[in-house]
Amino acid sequence: MNKGRLLAAGIAVATLLLLVIGTMWPVTSAVAYAGGGQGDLLVAPSTPEAAANDLGTQIRLHAWDKAYSSLANKAEFTQDQFIHDLTGYALSLRTYATLDGFEVQPLHQTANDADMIMKLRWSTVVGTFEDKRNVHATRSGDHWAVNWPIVPEQHVPPQVIPVNYLRWDVITSGSGDDWGAQDVEAPHVRIVDMHPVNRADGVVVMGELLNEDVIPAYVSVRSTLLAKNGSVLDSEGSFDMISHTLLPKQVTPFVIRFPGVDLSDVASIRMQPLSVLVSASADPVIEVLNQQYNAPPGASLTGQLSNQSGQTVNVAHVISSFYDKNGQLIWVAGQYIDRALQPQTPVDFHISVPEDIARNVNTERTVVSTYVLGGSL
Amino acid sequence: MGWRSVIKRFFVLACSLTLPLASAAAQQATVHLEPQQLHGSRPIEKQTEAAVIRDYLAAWESMQSALNLNQPTLLDTNFVGPALDKLTGTIGDQASLGIHVRYQERSHDLQFVFYSPEGSSIQLIDTVEYDEQVLDHDKVLATKPLRQRYLVVLTPSEVRWRVRLFQADTQ
Amino acid sequence: MTPPPSVTAGSAFAIPTTGSGKAALYIVGPAQAVRRDVDLGQPASFAAGVLYNAGHYVVLLTGDSVADTAELDVVPAPQPETLGFLAKPSRLPVGTPNGISGAIYIFDAYHNLITKPLPATLELSNASGIVQTRTVTTLNGLAWTEMNSAEKEGTVKFVARVGNISSTRIIDQVPGDPCAITISAAPANGKLLVQTAPVHDCSGNAIPDGTIVTFTETYNNMQTTVDVPLKQGVARVTMPAYKGSKISAASGVVAGNEILWGGGQ
Repeated sequence: MNKGRLLAAGIAVATLLLLVIGTMWPVTSAVAYAGGGQGDLLVAPSTPEAAANDLGTQIRLHAWDKAYSSLANKAEFTQDQFIHDLTGYALSLRTYATLDGFEVQPLHQTANDADMIMKLRWSTVVGTFEDKRNVHATRSGDHWAVNWPIVPEQHVPPQVIPVNYLRWDVITSGSGDDWGAQDVEAPHVRIVDMHPVNRADGVVVMGELLNEDVIPAYVSVRSTLLAKNGSVLDSEGSFDMISHTLLPKQVTPFVIRFPGVDLSDVASIRMQPLSVLVSASADPVIEVLNQQYNAPPGASLTGQLSNQSGQTVNVAHVISSFYDKNGQLIWVAGQYIDRALQPQTPVDFHISVPEDIARNVNTERTVVSTYVLGGSL
Repeated sequence: MGWRSVIKRFFVLACSLTLPLASAAAQQATVHLEPQQLHGSRPIEKQTEAAVIRDYLAAWESMQSALNLNQPTLLDTNFVGPALDKLTGTIGDQASLGIHVRYQERSHDLQFVFYSPEGSSIQLIDTVEYDEQVLDHDKVLATKPLRQRYLVVLTPSEVRWRVRLFQADTQ
Repeated sequence: MTPPPSVTAGSAFAIPTTGSGKAALYIVGPAQAVRRDVDLGQPASFAAGVLYNAGHYVVLLTGDSVADTAELDVVPAPQPETLGFLAKPSRLPVGTPNGISGAIYIFDAYHNLITKPLPATLELSNASGIVQTRTVTTLNGLAWTEMNSAEKEGTVKFVARVGNISSTRIIDQVPGDPCAITISAAPANGKLLVQTAPVHDCSGNAIPDGTIVTFTETYNNMQTTVDVPLKQGVARVTMPAYKGSKISAASGVVAGNEILWGGGQ
C-alpha cells in the first residue's frame, strides 16, 4: 500500500517537473508543432531571428495582443491597423486565410540593428500566396524587437465616380418541362483556340473561349481525353482557371489539367464548352496597367490592376495567355490577388512562367475576373 | 423434406424462372430500317440515327416492363412529356382494374420522317408487330397479335433521346 | 360483341353484346385501360370523356359464359385545340438565311396528335406588319418551315396558326459582329483618353451596349490592356500617355485600327 502511494506521488512530481521544464525550455520541434516558431515563447528573444520567429508564431496563432505588443514600432499604428494589414482592410482572400508557415532570412546585422526578410505563406480556399516583408529589428537592452513594415490602408479621395451601370437580368420560363414553350436560349460561345501540352505532371489542355453572343454568359469548359481504342482516359473541367462570366464578345483563356496522363496515350480530345444565361453587370471595369513580360531566368509577367469603378472588388483573379511568335497559344497561368481592389488604386500582380515555355513567349494577354461582395463572379 | 427434395424444388424453380427469359431472348424483335423520308428537313447523321434507334428500343423495353409490372417509375428514364403522362395514366388504370398487360414485340419497321433544323426533335414512324396479352393477376384474359403503325417523337435530354409523343396512327 | 371499328377520342359510344348473364368488358391499350361490367345482350355504354386517348385498343369480353376479343381504334378529335410550337432560335443575328425554324404539332382537346392533313400558316411580323408568311400542310401531325432573319435588328413575332388556334413566339434579331472598329485618342489630364467611334455591324445596326472592346497599349516591352463594355454605342478608356506607344482595339475576333501616339502631335 505504502509502495503504491510512493509510486503515485513520484509520478505526480515527475510530471509536474517535466511540465515546468517543457514550458521554460521547450524543444524547438515541439514549438514548431504548437505554432511554428523556433524560439522560446516565454523568454524575451535574444536574437533578431528569434524576435521575427516569435512574431511569426504569434501571427500564426492569431495571438494579436502578444504580436502587437512585441513590436518595436507599435506606437506608429494601432493594433487594429496591424491586424488589418495582415487580414485585409476590406473583405478579401486574406480575411479567411491561415498562416501555413513562415521563413526568416537575415540580410544584415549590427550590434543593435538587423534587417531580415519575413516570408509569410498564407493558405486560402484557392491556394497559397506569399507575403514578403522586409523587416527591421532593433535591440533594446537584452532583447530584440521587430519594426513591422505596415502597409497602410489606401484611402480613396472622397469623390463621385459616375457609373452608368449596364446590367442584364434574365426571366426564365421555370423549371418544368418546357418543350415548345417560349424561352430564352443559352448564349452562343465558341472555343477559338485549343492547345494540349505534355508536362511533367500530366497533360494540360489550354485554350480560349469566346462569347460570340450579345448577352452575358456563365461559362465553363469540359475536356475528355480519348485513347486510341476510343475509351475515355480522363474527363476534367476548367474549374477556376477560366473567367466564368463572359460579357458579349469577351474572350477568356482556360486551362484543364489531367494529372498522371501522358499525351502520347491520347488519340483525340473532346472539348465541351458550356454556357448558361445569367444576370450580369458590365461593371466593375479592371484595367491591366504596365503589363510587362520579364524574360528568363525567373520569367514572369508583372503589372498592376486598377479598379476603375467606385466599388471595392473583394477578390480579383488574373489569368494570362502567352503566345509564341506565330500567335499560337503556348501557356496560360493565373494569380489570385490577396488584397481587395480599392477604387482607382493600382495593385501589383506577378505571374510566373515555366522556364522551358518562357523562351518562346512573344506576346501575352490578360483578363481579370472579379468577385464583389453581394455581386457575382 | 430431404436434401434431394430441396434440390429438386430448386431445379424446378430455376427452370420456371429461366425458361421464360430464354424464351423472351429467343423472341428478340427484328428491327428493319426504311430509307429516311425527311421532306427537306435536316439530314440525320449516322451516329444520331443509331443513338435514336437504341434509345427508342430501350423505351419499348421499359414500357413493356412498366405495363407488365404496373410500375410507372420504370418509364422515367425513356419517356417524357405527354408520352410519359399517358403511359403513367394507363398504368394507373391497369392497377385500379387489377390487370396487367404484356406486350411482346416481334418486329419494328422504322422510318425517320423529320429532324428539326436545330436538332431538338426527331419524328419516326414505327410499324410494330406485337402480341398484347391481358392478364388478371396471373390469369390470361386474352392474347391478341397486332400490327400497328406508331407515330413517335423523340427529344434529346442530357444523355439520351427520350420518347415525347407515342401514338398509334389511327387516321 | 361488335365494337365500332373506330370512335372519336372523348366521344360517347356503345358496344353491343349478345348472350345472357354477367361479363366484364375491357378496352386495353398502351394509351388507356377501361372496364365495364355488362349484362350480356345489352350494349356496354361509354359516356363522353371516358375513352379519350387516341390509339389502338384490344377489346375483350370475359365472363363465365363468354370470352371474346376485338380491336378498336380511337381517332383524335378533328378540331385542333392546342399547338405545340417549336420556334428556334429565340435569338439570332440579322441577315441569317433560313435561320429561323418553326415546327408545329397539332393536338386535339385531349392532347392527341391530329395526324389528318391540315393547313397551317406560319408568319413573321414586326411592328410595321407581316414580313414573311408560309402556308404548309401538316404531314404525320407536323408542319414546319424555315425563314430568314431580317437585315434590321429588333424583335419579331413568329405566329403559328391552324384554323382559329394560334401560338406566338418572340424572336430577337440581334446585330452581328462589328464591321469595323475605329479608335481615336486625345490627351486628358496627363493621360490618354481612347475611344471608339460608334460601333456597327455590316448591316448598319448598332452593336449593343455591354459588348466588350479590348484596348491594348504597347510601349517598349510594356503592355496595358483593358476590357471595356460599350456604353451608349462607344467604348471609352483612360490609358497611360507614353509617347511612341501603339494603341489598338478588338472585339471578339474583329480587330480595329492601330494608333501610334506621338504625344498629341
